[in-house]
Amino acid sequence: MKVSYFETGRYVPPPDLPREWPVPAGSYDPETGAEAYRGMVERARFVEELGFDWVSVSEHHYSPRILTPSPVVSAAYLAARVDKIKIALLGPIVPVSNPIRVAEELAMLDTMAPGRVVVGLLRGTTNEYLSYDLNPKESRERTDEGMELILKAWTEPQPFGWQGRYFQYRTVSIWPRPQCQPHPPTYALGTSAEAGEFAARHRLGIGLSYGSFELMAKSARYYRERCAEYGWEPGPDDIIYRANMILADTDDAAEEALARRDKQAPFPVRPGLREALLQSDTTRNIAGERRPANVGGVLPISFCGGPDRIVEQLRRCREEVGAGIVDLSLQDPGTGDVNGMMCALELFGKKVLPRIGDM
Amino acid sequence: MQTPNPLFREGWVEADGFRIRYMEAGQGKPLIHLHGASGMRLTRGYDLLSREFRVIAFEMPGFGSSPENTRTKTMAELAGSMAAAARQLGINKFGLIGTSFGGKVALWLSVQEPERVEALVLEAPAAIRPVGSEPPSGSPQAMARGFYAHPERYDPLPEPDPAIQAKMRALVARLRGPDRDTDLENRLKGLAMPVLVLFGTLDCAIPPEMGRFYKQLLPNCHLVFVYDAGHAISTERPEAFAEVTVDFLNRHEAFVVNRAETVIHP
Repeated sequence: MKVSYFETGRYVPPPDLPREWPVPAGSYDPETGAEAYRGMVERARFVEELGFDWVSVSEHHYSPRILTPSPVVSAAYLAARVDKIKIALLGPIVPVSNPIRVAEELAMLDTMAPGRVVVGLLRGTTNEYLSYDLNPKESRERTDEGMELILKAWTEPQPFGWQGRYFQYRTVSIWPRPQCQPHPPTYALGTSAEAGEFAARHRLGIGLSYGSFELMAKSARYYRERCAEYGWEPGPDDIIYRANMILADTDDAAEEALARRDKQAPFPVRPGLREALLQSDTTRNIAGERRPANVGGVLPISFCGGPDRIVEQLRRCREEVGAGIVDLSLQDPGTGDVNGMMCALELFGKKVLPRIGDM
Repeated sequence: MQTPNPLFREGWVEADGFRIRYMEAGQGKPLIHLHGASGMRLTRGYDLLSREFRVIAFEMPGFGSSPENTRTKTMAELAGSMAAAARQLGINKFGLIGTSFGGKVALWLSVQEPERVEALVLEAPAAIRPVGSEPPSGSPQAMARGFYAHPERYDPLPEPDPAIQAKMRALVARLRGPDRDTDLENRLKGLAMPVLVLFGTLDCAIPPEMGRFYKQLLPNCHLVFVYDAGHAISTERPEAFAEVTVDFLNRHEAFVVNRAETVIHP
């Protein structure tokens, strides 16, 4: 099993920070932000030394919970400062992006850090659409079309035009092309039937996140069935499972941390806005089974315990979900407990990592 | 074979020893259409083209209700007959659009009479094919899977008349030529007119990757992928098909320059 550390640009907020999303830009503190980014590099180097396989970055807007509105900028910054560890962009939010720009920037990164870039293409969560004023109802179709266009821009050797539903270009011919041919390792991120279908059709991996093993297994099964229909069989490295983990020296200490955990999302949206977002985003599903969108809900802890129990839980994840890569947040992003996280990372590196490599 | 289209009116023209049926709609500059291997299909995409152009869709000799054609031996000959039919209608210069099999006829016509073709559009052309490819065949369901990315969105194709089908099959098999026709391909290098090649991203009759060969061979060629369409682009994405086709036929290579306004509140 491979392990990825999910780096979120930990901004340690003062206690009096407003708690509603979007968080007022005026309450941002430049020095705290600079420290968050210095910490990114320290943590990436630290997990590289510990033997983690990947460090992952994501795209989130308008709050200090995850301080990385541009995963490409994060990845470029890290790529120049670490040597071996792979950098996974999980990932650009496709429906709010210019797909040609995404294809170009990822091809640049793949050329600057050859063999070290991993790409996840993402629909994103519903409140993120407010950031760039996207109609949530269009997010599914814009994602599917945008992903298709990114792959075409990477692989088509002749200049071409694109006559889409949501995107139109008359002239596309990107330079540089990706260093990895035909393109860097790429995952469609999502539990939906649409993500599974897209990944299967294009022989991509899939990235699942935050659901129970049982639900994620259902999604992974759907993906594998679709791959079989397209005549191929994905391997363990084709399935990523992103989750939160609380790791402590003992099971009891981890359980105590779990009990202390905030039951509310760190920066929730207002109830009226939450309702409006839920009503405008009704196509979320797990392997075709309808689910409400997650709008500012608190994300579950999927792994909790001391090292022995965590190893056992990872083994279950490997067997039940089929994931060969876990992308982990140790302790909660947004809590500001950076020291606690560094301790947990070290513990993971020393007591868990050596026991899961051949899982 | 074909649902009557109220926009188009039927006509007949004598040319090159054939009596050729055609359907015509619209006003303006003439646009000649050459159909695919399964015969003339006036899809919604062509309705939209007829709002901008005088569209003349020929039924090529041997297809549809026309008598069996045992005379035409090559694509080049068929192209010559169609050029003669256009001349007989008094049309000297025209835009030309060929679909699939008709794309290859259109290329031959353009090679033979380049000065008459102002601009050429190839809809999922079958002139360059992967080695060993076969035209869609079999039951109407199998044909639909070959034509459409989303067959579930359309009424089932009608059961074909076996006599008409056998007659067209034999003709297509005789005329379609090799998968890579070096004679034609060598001539394409000298074709100066603007050419637009359209492929649906989900074409499973002719892989859209074939588009790059046209781009390599033709000196003034534009390749455009129509997202989420199969082989039957003008059925599955009629508005997208018509928009890019009209823009190209009107502006030729300048069609790459965007003129859409994005001002929200002046």
